[in-house]
Amino acid sequence: MRRCPDCTVAVEGDWVRCPLCGTELLGEPVPGPYPTVPLRFSRRRVLRVLLLSSLAVVLLSFLAQLLFGRDSDGIGVLRSVWLGIVTTWLVVVMAISKRRNLAKFIVYLVLIAGGICVYWDYLSGWYGWSLTYVVPIVCAASIAGLVITARVMRMEVGDYVVYSGLTVLLGLTPIVFLALGWVGTVIPSAICGGLSLLAVVLLLTIRGGAVRHELAKRLHL
Amino acid sequence: MNAAARRRHWVRLDNASNIFPAARSDVDPKVFRMSAELDHEVDPALLQDALEETFARFPLYHAVLRRGVFWYYLQDSDLHPQVEPETEHSCAPLYQADRRTLLFRVLHHRRRLSLEVFHALSDGTGALWFLTDLLTAYTRRRFPDQAPTDAALIEARPGSPERPDPPPEAVGTHPGARAAEEVHELTTDSFAHYFRRRRRRRPAADDHHEEFSREAAPAVLTVEEADVSEEEPQKRPSPRRPRRRIHRVRGTRTPDNRPRVIELTMPARAVLGLAKAEGVALTMYLTALFFEAIRRADPGDAAPTMTASVPVNLRQFFPSTSARNFFATIRVEHTYGRGDDSPGAVARALQEAFSVEATPEALERKLHRLQAVERLPLARIVPRPLKDLLLGLINHANNRALTVAISNLGRVTLPEPAESHVGRMLFHVSAVRPQFCAMSHDGLLTLSFTAPFVETDHVREYAALLTEAGVEVTVAAPRVSEDELLEFAT
Repeated sequence: MRRCPDCTVAVEGDWVRCPLCGTELLGEPVPGPYPTVPLRFSRRRVLRVLLLSSLAVVLLSFLAQLLFGRDSDGIGVLRSVWLGIVTTWLVVVMAISKRRNLAKFIVYLVLIAGGICVYWDYLSGWYGWSLTYVVPIVCAASIAGLVITARVMRMEVGDYVVYSGLTVLLGLTPIVFLALGWVGTVIPSAICGGLSLLAVVLLLTIRGGAVRHELAKRLHL
Repeated sequence: MNAAARRRHWVRLDNASNIFPAARSDVDPKVFRMSAELDHEVDPALLQDALEETFARFPLYHAVLRRGVFWYYLQDSDLHPQVEPETEHSCAPLYQADRRTLLFRVLHHRRRLSLEVFHALSDGTGALWFLTDLLTAYTRRRFPDQAPTDAALIEARPGSPERPDPPPEAVGTHPGARAAEEVHELTTDSFAHYFRRRRRRRPAADDHHEEFSREAAPAVLTVEEADVSEEEPQKRPSPRRPRRRIHRVRGTRTPDNRPRVIELTMPARAVLGLAKAEGVALTMYLTALFFEAIRRADPGDAAPTMTASVPVNLRQFFPSTSARNFFATIRVEHTYGRGDDSPGAVARALQEAFSVEATPEALERKLHRLQAVERLPLARIVPRPLKDLLLGLINHANNRALTVAISNLGRVTLPEPAESHVGRMLFHVSAVRPQFCAMSHDGLLTLSFTAPFVETDHVREYAALLTEAGVEVTVAAPRVSEDELLEFAT
């Protein structure tokens, strides 16, 4: 074993200089107990900064829309291009950050897509297209999408059942729109509402136990 | 998919453990490593067999950590552990949010076998139980002719029905020392059984170790109540309470946030002799040396007050066979320049302060206050992300008041045939401040220093203090800085 003449200690491993004081070691090396691991740098910090700054840009973009007039002599088509780009970017960022939990991503997607379209509709003069078409279609598609995802990915019931419940609850909102008379064309909301009601019944009859178990676990106080 | 797989068993992460996911960072992933050095190169295939046997008997180790709305919870999983050759730096992160991985890993390199555990899962004593069983299972396979007879085996196996909960005095009077003999309820056949038992027994368990474990002091919630109302009047009756400057060691961060690990190995008898000569317990003697080493390493602007946090294994005081976190930390301090500052005198002063707080009565009082905090409805309904944030802040504030941390698992005895084939044993923990972890086996005391800094001055001084006192010290360390790695490459 090598020795450090300065520290008067024995040093294991193939160190040339003493790990404590840097003095050159004397004697024959013996194998050390640790492997030599090359430096490994993660880009986590860079990615986190990029993520936060792009979220800030997205948020500012949405707020900036309020500065322009709501009618067509505002910024017109430029607004749609602008909102289209930031929305796409937001969805991509969300998809990346939730990539390990697709069921959760679907719920987030419904909330983001629905919320942005309602805002967009409001900005461009409130024609009601978001509530009539976008929200019911997105909600209905998410219910179907989650069923397919769970099948294809062979997810465990506990891992998606809460998110199924959430998409179904969101899917019931078009019924409220219908009742309040907020929608022009009835068919999309009616289909989405019907599908959601069917899903609620199925969820509670077939997966009732799993739903209660998961909720008790996640909401445990 | 059957019904059992669909409804996985789960248990809420106790408060003592909640601090670990909340306070983990790039520098300190809250992982600790416990290693044993064998008298031969580890055989990975046999180790894998041994791991599977041990894993089956420790249902807690099947758990993955998940996030709920208000709490983290441990959930049973179907994952299987795989022994790996050591290719990463020690104490690499184990828990990553949204990624379901086991909260421990088993590594081997040459003659050394290491168990790394995410601290939210278990504490040092709990991990030592696992490592003890793993070493026993491994050496039984490696040296089949030395294995004890079946009868002895059943007798020695913890958790067998013939051996119910041990009396208090049998449970680790020296933490970990009797690891092999200790019985723990986790060695029931299945995770399911474990959790059902726990949940059925909840009312009783709540009064005992469940809530005791919440009291564990790095756990934040302890800071608000226990520290203020309990420690102050007890520990500092003298008027030396005004704002003190607590010394904190600073340095250059390691390039990729790996911990700076340096192990000092020495004959246990020699160091025990030094402590005895000063009339103090080994832990406090080693702590006093640590303070002295830090002062020597940083003579210029060392603030006068040094503080250390010392975990106490609560199983010593309140019988428990749980492998979950069950410890409390006690803070000891010394202000230099007010009298005799020799290591012996400092150690005696520390010991006096420590023993006041380490009595069952003192710990129990601390505990009762905590239970009160624990039952505050407000503390329960705070959503988890907010809790994480608060715990992180409290942990940060707590860290600022600490110079060093130390942990001593004491002398370990393993069952045969492991005992005769295992040499020194070591453990260390990722840390945001200088820390050492001590343990002894086979007559060798190991002090594993960790720090987030490249600098090794305090360890150099520590080694010097020991060698000056005539103790033979051996140093082992992984390479950390760019220069050290370059030196290896050339």
